[in-house]
Amino acid sequence: MSSSSSDDDSPAAVEPTPAEETAVEKEPSLAEETAVEETAATTEETVPAIAAAAAPVIKTSSRASGSGPVVRFDISQSSSSTTIAQTAIESLKSILPNNIPSSLPSAPNPALTLLHDLETTAQITALLRRPSSGAGDDNLCRWLYDTFQSNNPDLKLVVLRFLPVLLGAYLSRVVSRRKSLAGFEAVLLSLYAHETNRRASQPLAVNIPDLTHPSIYHESKSPLKNNATALNLAVISPSLEPHGMVRSTKRARIVGVALELYYTKIDKIPETSKIEFCEFCRMWAGGGDDENGGFKKEEAAEAEEAEEEGIGRIPLPWEILQPVLRVLGHCLLGSNLITKCKKNESTPLFDAAIAAIRSLYLRSMHDINPKAILATGSLVRLGNMAMESADEIDYTEIPFQTVINL
Amino acid sequence: MTSTVDEDDREPAMESGESDEGKVVREVCANGVCIKTTEVEAKLDEGNIQEAESSLREGLSLNFEEARALLGKLEYQRGNVEGALRVFDGIDLQAAIQRLQPCVTEKTPPKKGRARSESQHAVSQHAANLVLEAIYLKVKSLQKLGRVTEAADECTSVLDAVEKIFHQGIPDGQVDSRLQDTVSQAVELLPELWKQAGCFQEAISAYRRALLSQWNLNNETCARIQKGFAVFLLYSGVEAGPPSLAVQLEGSYVPKNNLEEAILLLMVLVKKCYLGKIKWDPSVMEHLIFALSLCSQTSVLAKQLEEVMPGVYHRVDRWKSLSLCYFAAGQNKVALNLLRKSLHKHEQPDDVAALLLAAKICSEDPYLAAEGVGYAQRAMNNSIENEEHLRGVGLRLLGLCLGKQAKMASSDFERSRLQSEALKSLEAASGLESNNLDLMLELGVQYSEYRNLNAALQYAKKFIDETGGSVLKGWQLLALVLSAQKRFSEAEVVTDAAMDETTKWEQGPLLRLKAKLKVSQSLHMDAIETYRYLLALVQAQKKSFGPLRIVPQVEDDKVNEFEVWNGLANLYSSLSHWKDAEICLGKARELKEFSPEVLHTEGLMCEGREKIQEALAAYINALLLEPSYVPCKVLIGALWSKAGPDALPIARSLLSDALRLDPTNRKAWFYLGVIHRDEGRMADAIDCFQAAAMLEESDPIESFSSIL
Repeated sequence: MSSSSSDDDSPAAVEPTPAEETAVEKEPSLAEETAVEETAATTEETVPAIAAAAAPVIKTSSRASGSGPVVRFDISQSSSSTTIAQTAIESLKSILPNNIPSSLPSAPNPALTLLHDLETTAQITALLRRPSSGAGDDNLCRWLYDTFQSNNPDLKLVVLRFLPVLLGAYLSRVVSRRKSLAGFEAVLLSLYAHETNRRASQPLAVNIPDLTHPSIYHESKSPLKNNATALNLAVISPSLEPHGMVRSTKRARIVGVALELYYTKIDKIPETSKIEFCEFCRMWAGGGDDENGGFKKEEAAEAEEAEEEGIGRIPLPWEILQPVLRVLGHCLLGSNLITKCKKNESTPLFDAAIAAIRSLYLRSMHDINPKAILATGSLVRLGNMAMESADEIDYTEIPFQTVINL
Repeated sequence: MTSTVDEDDREPAMESGESDEGKVVREVCANGVCIKTTEVEAKLDEGNIQEAESSLREGLSLNFEEARALLGKLEYQRGNVEGALRVFDGIDLQAAIQRLQPCVTEKTPPKKGRARSESQHAVSQHAANLVLEAIYLKVKSLQKLGRVTEAADECTSVLDAVEKIFHQGIPDGQVDSRLQDTVSQAVELLPELWKQAGCFQEAISAYRRALLSQWNLNNETCARIQKGFAVFLLYSGVEAGPPSLAVQLEGSYVPKNNLEEAILLLMVLVKKCYLGKIKWDPSVMEHLIFALSLCSQTSVLAKQLEEVMPGVYHRVDRWKSLSLCYFAAGQNKVALNLLRKSLHKHEQPDDVAALLLAAKICSEDPYLAAEGVGYAQRAMNNSIENEEHLRGVGLRLLGLCLGKQAKMASSDFERSRLQSEALKSLEAASGLESNNLDLMLELGVQYSEYRNLNAALQYAKKFIDETGGSVLKGWQLLALVLSAQKRFSEAEVVTDAAMDETTKWEQGPLLRLKAKLKVSQSLHMDAIETYRYLLALVQAQKKSFGPLRIVPQVEDDKVNEFEVWNGLANLYSSLSHWKDAEICLGKARELKEFSPEVLHTEGLMCEGREKIQEALAAYINALLLEPSYVPCKVLIGALWSKAGPDALPIARSLLSDALRLDPTNRKAWFYLGVIHRDEGRMADAIDCFQAAAMLEESDPIESFSSIL
């Protein structure tokens, strides 16, 4: 493996050429990416392709479950997506100020390794938080854009992982300062377009159940009697129209849809990204997470902290607030369902989420927004219950007996 | 005899069990014989499973499997899960399951030979329980060792076996309670195991299997599983997809996504609580509140809250939650009535949140504004200590309510007092909440309504800046303020800029503004062109307006077709294009047969063609339809003012009445001036003309209040 990684380093010297091309214009680089997807055999790519061919061997052996032909098919698939990931990482090298771990490109699944690599993601986060980031010629934004265009789902996750910090920078800057944020907007638009495609522009709707009708989980005494009563149809996200640019009255919608996409992948997003998201939500709400009235006092401290980056209270229309609440609900009550930690353990994510929800609750009180008061209020109470509840009884444990009867 | 010993043993054992298990006296009992386990345990500790097994077989006259099962259970209870696993590995559980099946197939016709096969039941169920419990303990051991995937596979085999043994589900009351316990525990454990293994789709199938097959679970177990699944669906972020076709019965509701399934399960749970089948669990309701308010279905939520049994929530809490639901659902009156109850002096009259909510509802209705002022003041007085941060909100609502109250004021003096108080409150609020953008817009509108156009302009600009131009209302206000300052071309630039920031579907209100701006600049042909464009948009919207279409940002400000036709009719009649005007008016009338607006336009057309009697008839009809329709009042007053000295008092009272309703109506001031002049009261006439002139200089093309 080490030999292949050293092989990888040599093309790195050659690699910057396409990466710099990326910096000059977006379109050609896009075409390049697709070309890579299709053939994966252009002259510059040969060496990484070899490295990639070496990597999946290890991968398949570790799996060792499927039958022969399926695994082969798997190789051809993963080799191309591994190559794409390696290309992406190579071009990232030229953007980041510090080196990235040399083991990264040679990992069995470079995209997933990048996703969970704290050091590299911290570098990217720092770049995104710079006051000058997000312009049309921002290389990192281009990288995010191009990376999201690849058809490697894990690479898409890498881009989504940075959505909180990108929004943190974008939403607060777009209101106060009239600076070009075309780089951020290009990334957001590509997320929006992806979601539009995925949903075929269709709205997300929910048929609210009515217990007078029987359902798979319950019986009703008056079945089919009043079949005519229409179910309540709730549109939770209206149909998606195509957007080629961010019009300011549509910004909330585009951001909201990007967050909806983030939510659909939330079980695969690393915790650090979610914690960042919670912290931004707290600042967007206008600070103040202390339910016992610290709103004003907190605000001063908050303001200082936020001042550096200019992140503060922003308009939170329902289009944004609704997906935000879904994500926060997951951070508060869902992430411990999917990460094997114990239920009552207070994790950093739980703490960040409850702080964010408390400040959003106060914010909705200030806005006197009844729907938001209901939603955030219920989450606050659920969070408190989760903190207070003593060790739950494990009903799946057999009772202790001193006399065992057969 | 033995039972008393049991009881005595159990109590201390339960307590000391955790601290030092080694000293616990244990017994194993079978076939009427009990033996102490110390000897067996010693053998187990030496790793001699076979000897331990044989001593059990001899001592209790058991067969191999029974002895192993007992040993495994003993090891498990001693906390030696690895040992338990070694013991269980010695039994061929799959073979044991196989052996169980034939004896149970006899059971399939249960009605015929129940009595005959009763004893056989007992035996086979006993054997089944032995095997299944053994596998279950193996599962638990594996789980404790962190081998969750294996555990899940084994657990699945328990459930498979149960399904094979009982083809048609577990019959109620015919199953040994220990067997039932094992089955219930396995059913409940399986989804947890898959979750721990990170296999979420398997977890979802396990949940559904638990809930949709007949396991004869007791209510509490079933409720726990249902709640666990609902929570998983709501918060895990893992998309479950609809359940398989096999479970879908015709005519029954089948959830198609996570939210639907979670809401259904929570509603079922809430219903079970009312029926007394399970204990009330406050978290279930909170989850339901979260889910339904995410879907904006607060009226459904209100129904759920209303169904909660008395005694669960304090009545004031319930009223407050209900008022939030109804307010969010747009049923403001119901919400306000509930709040009035909760704010009654015998309930919780000082609750700041409720006071603010009530004030907010009142601030939207001029007839309730005075009541709202009271709530806002009470809210401010009570915003102390923990709730001090809400003072700014109270002030803001006070300002809004005063502003609304000013519209209903009976005298000029009263009105101007209320107006200045309203502005003072809003300014004070903005001192406390400088970053509240809604407040910024409200101040802008308030200032523009009082014709302080410079201040209004500042706020409108600031609002657009701070929102990044994302709110349509900000653009509209800026354009209106500019139009009131007679800076039409700038207003047009703003309108065009706003159109760049919106999509075609939402340009209706802006196009209407633009058409009116063109009229104001006497660019009639451009105006007609803009109206045409607007008409095309409105008709296209009408065609594609299903229930799922995009909800425009300002929903109530949708431009309707009627308004467009009427506007066009007005425009044509001002150009004396009577035929075109007639056509447009006809179209408008098709959409709305009786409307003061149409009669107003019709009257104008008659007047334009010198048919004074018909015009008067049209205006009077308009007033009959809508007694407070100011434009026609003014026009009748104007016509009477020209009808000779006898009619002047009538005209004057009509115009005064119009000015009471709309003090900024410059035409009313003008005609009132004319009357004063004709009657020889020159000073009054001058005052009126001056007012008219001043108002004309600050007249917007649409009413400012249309924005809020």
